Amino acid sequence: MARPLLRPLRSCRNPLVYPLFCAPRISLIPATSAIPNQHNQLRRLSRDLPSHHRRLYHSQHHPDPPPHEYTNSQTTILTAALKHVPTHGFTRAALTLGARDTGFLDVSIQLLPRGEFDLILFWLASRRGLLRAAVEQNGLLKSPDSNLVSVEEKTIKLIMERLRMNTEINHQWQDALALMSLPSHIPLSLSELHALSSDILHLAGDASVDASWYTKRLSVSAIYASAEVVMTRDSSPDLAATEAFVTRRIEDSKAIGDKLTGVKQCLGFMGSTAVGLGRSWGLKI
Amino acid sequence: MMKPLLVLRRCSSLPCPRPAAPLLLDFLAPSALRHRQYHTTPSYQSTSPAAQPTSEGSKPKYVLNKQQREFLDSALRVNQAGELAATLIYTAQTPQVVRSHPHLRPLMKHMYDQEKGHLTTFNHMIAKHRVRPTAMYPVWEVAATFLGWSTGVMGREAAMACTEAVETEIGSHYNDQVREILSWEADAKSRGEELDDELKEMLPTFRRIRDEELEHLDHAVENDSKEAQPYDPLVNVIRLGCRAAIKISERV
Repeated sequence: MARPLLRPLRSCRNPLVYPLFCAPRISLIPATSAIPNQHNQLRRLSRDLPSHHRRLYHSQHHPDPPPHEYTNSQTTILTAALKHVPTHGFTRAALTLGARDTGFLDVSIQLLPRGEFDLILFWLASRRGLLRAAVEQNGLLKSPDSNLVSVEEKTIKLIMERLRMNTEINHQWQDALALMSLPSHIPLSLSELHALSSDILHLAGDASVDASWYTKRLSVSAIYASAEVVMTRDSSPDLAATEAFVTRRIEDSKAIGDKLTGVKQCLGFMGSTAVGLGRSWGLKI
Repeated sequence: MMKPLLVLRRCSSLPCPRPAAPLLLDFLAPSALRHRQYHTTPSYQSTSPAAQPTSEGSKPKYVLNKQQREFLDSALRVNQAGELAATLIYTAQTPQVVRSHPHLRPLMKHMYDQEKGHLTTFNHMIAKHRVRPTAMYPVWEVAATFLGWSTGVMGREAAMACTEAVETEIGSHYNDQVREILSWEADAKSRGEELDDELKEMLPTFRRIRDEELEHLDHAVENDSKEAQPYDPLVNVIRLGCRAAIKISERV
């Protein structure tokens, strides 16, 4: 992907030379073919970039897709750029520095049509992949000293593990949250949040197959998103305040869930009692 | 939770003419046997994992592409929703049908138990393969209970016509899925690969479930489903509803 895009640009490296050399050179190529081609490529590039992917049929015989869908050169630039995030934040400057580190030209950050938002998405998706790897390969939930049994305990552990990955960029995270909440960025941010909460619940061993599938993912998403905001103001050692916050919220959501189940059960009993009563009176219901 | 309890209590309170288990077998023997014979073709046997020679384990596995994964995703979602609806329909129908026709109790129980088994199978598959259950889950619950209850109120024939309509749709739906997986198997064979064990297991499972659904269809026809009044509008509306529900569950 990178080559055909960069080749016409490489000769235009120096802005002073550009009008002298590049303009005539481009005019030599039939304009109708070259320029639409580039446009198409750019458009295809931006369309091929859904870091959001639909969760499909999973199977142990078919490996999971990678957590993001960036190409190799994009991944190289983004990975290098992440090293500059603690100092430069989620900005184009970090992207440029990352491109320079890996031997790309400064202009090659145009490979990432969404700019700094791509950097944020890549951060989120790659951390999600690391969380999955931590559980599946390093046995995060299986350590002998921890006695995690219930899904809730495991969920708390996983949410905290994911939040701890944010520690080094904690001071930049408020800017990232602001960027993610721009209207045009909200759909992708939400789908990434859903992917994370879905992964957390799956890794925690939740196997709900009814409507609670949706409510559980909603509540974990809400808890995680609010915990991230809490964490940006948390200065306690080892994120103790955030952990207390997450524990309280999980307990709350469990209490609400239990209440709802109780109400539903009660209504069900009343309904079937009414039907039974009617039948015993001889009604044909 | 309450409905099966009610059914149980009613069963114990009513005088049963004969012990339940032999009665059940008596009742089902002819049609069940006939169906087994009809569907148990030689190719059926050859696909079962036990019959596979062990040397084929060395073949490379067939890799599913995106469309095939999407197909399995929506197929499993629809199957789970369908079996959920079926259990609820039978739960809602049973009390009314059994009240006026006590001899149908074993049949209704047999059909309910099979649907319950199918639902458990698909719930396992959904959880194992991380398939999203349908977002219309609560809607289907209400709709299926209403459908079962209303056809139950209309009488035995209407209840059986409902079974007939639903099982016709579901049977052909399972048939499509079996055909699709078989086409993958043929594709894999032409490339010198083989399907993975889960897919191989899915084939006989889907076939068994389809055969059981079609067996229910036969039971419904035997029990005068064609006598239902008005037959055509009732069956057509239910079949249309089933098809719409399948289309919706495939997507959301």
